[in-house]
Amino acid sequence: MRISTVIALLLSVSALHAEFFSSDASEQKVKCVYSGTDGQCVEPILKSENELVITVTGLGVAPSVTSSPAQAYALAKRAAMVDGYRLIAERIKGVQVEGQDSIKNMMLQQSSTKTSVEALVRGAKINNTTFKEGLCEVEMEIALSYSRVLH
Amino acid sequence: MRSRNGNSPFVFTSIALICSLSYSADNYYIGYRLTTKNAQPIEESLTISKAMQPCSREILSVLSLNNPSSESLSSLLNHERTRFLEYASSEEIRLQSNEKISPEHIKSLQTLTLPMRCYAVEFNGDLVTISLLK
Repeated sequence: MRISTVIALLLSVSALHAEFFSSDASEQKVKCVYSGTDGQCVEPILKSENELVITVTGLGVAPSVTSSPAQAYALAKRAAMVDGYRLIAERIKGVQVEGQDSIKNMMLQQSSTKTSVEALVRGAKINNTTFKEGLCEVEMEIALSYSRVLH
Repeated sequence: MRSRNGNSPFVFTSIALICSLSYSADNYYIGYRLTTKNAQPIEESLTISKAMQPCSREILSVLSLNNPSSESLSSLLNHERTRFLEYASSEEIRLQSNEKISPEHIKSLQTLTLPMRCYAVEFNGDLVTISLLK
């Protein structure tokens, strides 16, 4: 009777240990994209068993001529939301960059860079909004997971 | 016949309310576009059109707006445009962004578009319920 109790106790303790270590292992499954220069973690990779949350802060400015402070706030917030969505799209989808330099007689005449992004964004939400001295900051986040992508 | 479960009347009432909402509400197609230049809004358009055919009855999300002065849908959405944008954009938006950077200046142009989607709109006294349909 006592031997069976001891065996049961040992089994339960080993099961608890196994669960503890497996939870540690799942937390370590979030891998990173490492930069080539300094080896720092640049961006975590979305794995099938984890959810990846991306947070951005969009900035918007009210037009110089508005009929009321409330209108200025509303317009600045809308502009900040657009900027936030742009940042989300850039982080998730990436940016197309096109550069053009004109050189004449070995001298730089003109230089310009164009960036563009086009995306469809689903499921982003606003966490926080602050408005100070005409500048509106909107903190937005989007959660990415395999289930959402497949849905 | 009386149910053993005390919560059943509440559940039936809720189902009846949701069904009545989806049946009695009018369907509207609503779309929105906002263009910003250098982080300032320059152009905004809200398009509302009554649906000629009934839409799907499956509700995805609901927004409730106060309407104490019994305004029409278009004028209410003009007043509450930011709230509506916040609500509808959490479902789906399209974004197009272009930036041009040169030593003289930086110019950015962004367009956010809420695609035309069908909404069930119900006017109920001082409250307007807008439900996005699938």
